[in-house]
Amino acid sequence: MQQKSEKRQLGQRRNRLRTCRTDKRTMAQRRISGGKLFITVVYLVAMCRAVPVNDLLDRASQRSDKMHSLSTLLTQEMDSHFPPYGRMQMPRPADCHTSALQTPNDKEQALQVSESDLMSLARSLLQAWVDPLAVLSTSAITLPHPSKSSISSKIQELQEHSKSLADGLDILSGKMGPSAQAISFLPYTGGTDLGQDRVTILNKFNFLLSCLRRDSHKIDSFLKVLRCRAAKLQPELC
Amino acid sequence: TMKKVGEVVLLWLLILFIHNAAGEGYSPPGKPTNISCRSPEKETFTCWWKPGSDGGLPTTYALYYRKEGSQRVFECPDYKTAGKNSCFFSKNVTFVWVNYNITVVATNSRGRAFSDPVDIDVVYIVKPNPPEEVVVNVTEDKDWPFLQVSWKPPKMADTRSGWITLFYEVRLKLENKNKWEEVSAGQRKTLQIYSLRSGGTYEVQVRCKPDHGFWSEWSPSSRVKVPEYFPQERSMWILIVVFAAFILVIFIWMVYMNFHSVKRYLLPPVPGPKIKGIDKQFLKSGKSEDIFSSLVVSDFPPTTSNYEDFLVQYLEVYVPEERELIMDEGKDLQDDSFKTENSTCDNDSGRGSCDSHTLLTDKGGGDKEDGQQSDQEGSQAEADTKSQEEALEEELLACSHENLQSSNVSNEKEKVKSWPSLFSPLPQYSLSPVNRPNPPKTGQQHCLSDSLFTPNSMPSYFTQPGPSTRKGFRSNYWECSFDHKQSHPLHPQSAAHEHLQAQNDLNTAHVDYMGAPLDVHVLNVRPSEYVEVQRVSVEDGVLLHPVSPSQEDSRTLSHQTEDYSRVRVVNNDNGLLLLQRDAIEEEKSMCPYQEDVVSRASITPTLQNSATGINIALPILDEMAASGYIDTATMFGLPTH
Repeated sequence: MQQKSEKRQLGQRRNRLRTCRTDKRTMAQRRISGGKLFITVVYLVAMCRAVPVNDLLDRASQRSDKMHSLSTLLTQEMDSHFPPYGRMQMPRPADCHTSALQTPNDKEQALQVSESDLMSLARSLLQAWVDPLAVLSTSAITLPHPSKSSISSKIQELQEHSKSLADGLDILSGKMGPSAQAISFLPYTGGTDLGQDRVTILNKFNFLLSCLRRDSHKIDSFLKVLRCRAAKLQPELC
Repeated sequence: TMKKVGEVVLLWLLILFIHNAAGEGYSPPGKPTNISCRSPEKETFTCWWKPGSDGGLPTTYALYYRKEGSQRVFECPDYKTAGKNSCFFSKNVTFVWVNYNITVVATNSRGRAFSDPVDIDVVYIVKPNPPEEVVVNVTEDKDWPFLQVSWKPPKMADTRSGWITLFYEVRLKLENKNKWEEVSAGQRKTLQIYSLRSGGTYEVQVRCKPDHGFWSEWSPSSRVKVPEYFPQERSMWILIVVFAAFILVIFIWMVYMNFHSVKRYLLPPVPGPKIKGIDKQFLKSGKSEDIFSSLVVSDFPPTTSNYEDFLVQYLEVYVPEERELIMDEGKDLQDDSFKTENSTCDNDSGRGSCDSHTLLTDKGGGDKEDGQQSDQEGSQAEADTKSQEEALEEELLACSHENLQSSNVSNEKEKVKSWPSLFSPLPQYSLSPVNRPNPPKTGQQHCLSDSLFTPNSMPSYFTQPGPSTRKGFRSNYWECSFDHKQSHPLHPQSAAHEHLQAQNDLNTAHVDYMGAPLDVHVLNVRPSEYVEVQRVSVEDGVLLHPVSPSQEDSRTLSHQTEDYSRVRVVNNDNGLLLLQRDAIEEEKSMCPYQEDVVSRASITPTLQNSATGINIALPILDEMAASGYIDTATMFGLPTH
């Protein structure tokens, strides 16, 4: 419930921001009489409430935190019914479809990345998982697993969070400059079908979940680093 | 040479044997197990393992790891920093978001053992150090102090850049208690704790947890003492105690002031008979003759003009015609009597006079019902002793009546029926046909006194005797009376009449002495038969002679019955007293005594015997006369002689 309300608020704010910006541009382009312009400008200013970046980043990081928690729960739930043997047969995480993306590997590297790049990385990762999440969602319904209903609901929740976070990051990146808005394209080539037999399906499912867990952690870490960088007014947070 | 060769061979054999013997008991090492790794700040990490058996030989352990996507195997760079059986990965070799595949190998001269490989990612195994510099202060506010707890994140954890996000938790407890109270502090580094125990000493600990990781250990305890800020606590208790004591004193005072009304509420007094002309002190003095003389009215038998003097309450009884017919026909009137409506009075002894109310108000058509009600009441046995006394008195009257008149067995039966009310001191008893069984059942031929006043029966007098006892009693009584009286068979009707008449005589006698109520009482005890004859005109009560044709008037009887019921209490007491006394003191056949007593009651001034009996009765009467009430307690105390 809280997530949904936060999500809604964040989405509303971002929508407002978007609308506000679009409106601004439109108004600026038009040549209107001075009086009307003045009134319009006043009206727009009143309409566009400046949402502080801190607040946006805070909410975004909360959303990403929730996403990572969900993915961790998912992997644990999957493992609860499968002995480690299943994990050993799993393909290595290096084969994740997002491994091509260059991300920092330690703290020093991460702290040297610029905010825009961090935002771009986060957005790219987020965008890369839209399709795989859909595949996971459809596969979870017919998953040969005892907790498939719980898994399915969690994946759906993940999808909602992902969508909402993507919207929020769009707005945020818009405030941070064009480089923040660049998204690396990471296509998912696994196809819509996870496999034919039970073992293959489960293995693929586990593999995808492990990749998701790591990528969601990356997104969360980048956003939290960004949050502390922007939180000059709230030093107690970091 | 042969010897030399043999010696060499022996030597070799010995060496081989010793070598082999020394080699036994050694084995390859056991497999290392339980590899666990932790990272305190997401920049370095340490792995620990649990060694297996060493096989008796010095065993060395080596940790090898492989990073994902590479087949290159590395060995642990640092086995020392983290202690024994550990491997420390420094920043240089630590990479995040990279899977490490770690294996520990145990080696000794006999062989090697590989542990199960473990996959770890540093970001998932974060367990920070405990928070540092935990400072606990008691605020300066003297009235309501609170704790101010502050801390710093562990040194290694870089929360400033946002690389690690920590959440904190504080717990505190009183020094001598065992229960910790945990408070979550979020990402803040300070916390206020209120509602402290005055003068208590607290222990405070803090721990932290990364957003996705494990809780740290608790920091060392910080102790703080809360000053005594609430001395008023004790004074408040003193105030409360004083106030409560004050209220208690007031309450006791109120109870003391209203003691009597409270006592009356809890132990309602039992209305007793009012006997005019009885002097309490006189009774106590024991001069029975004088007392009785006081009872004797100079103008006895009272003429009709003096009627009101004797009657405390005057009732007019209206007898419907039907009843007379039924009575003549000799139907079983007991049924009718039992059909009578229940009296409005309950078993509450204090409301014995309720009968009188009913009777008083129910003039005219209510005579029979009243009489029945009185019967019912008698059967309901409001007061234990009263009913018992009534019963005894009834018997006494019956016995005396027997002397006057003879009654056949049927009469006995009927009388017995009437007796149940007398003999049932407790409410459970009810006038039911069941009680009709003939007294002859008991087959006891001794007198009433014997049955009544056997030592065992004495207590039962005051307790509720069983129905059988009652029946036996009655039967005995009747038999006794029968024997003594030499009753001659009579028609049931006539017998009843005679009986009633005799009773009437007795009643009248009682009335003379005690007033009309006595008659009412006696008659009240009789059931059906009584009902029949209840229609007695008022004048009968006044009549002195035991038997007279005029007394056969049912009206009179009924009237007497009504009166009787009113003053029943008095009669009971009277009769009770007398009977008791005789029973207690003399174990002879009571019949003659009863006769004597009854005769005494019948206005014979001669008190032949049982002056003692009278003595017993007198005190009771005195009390009753004095107050008009009979305290149940007093009643119970009466029998003592």
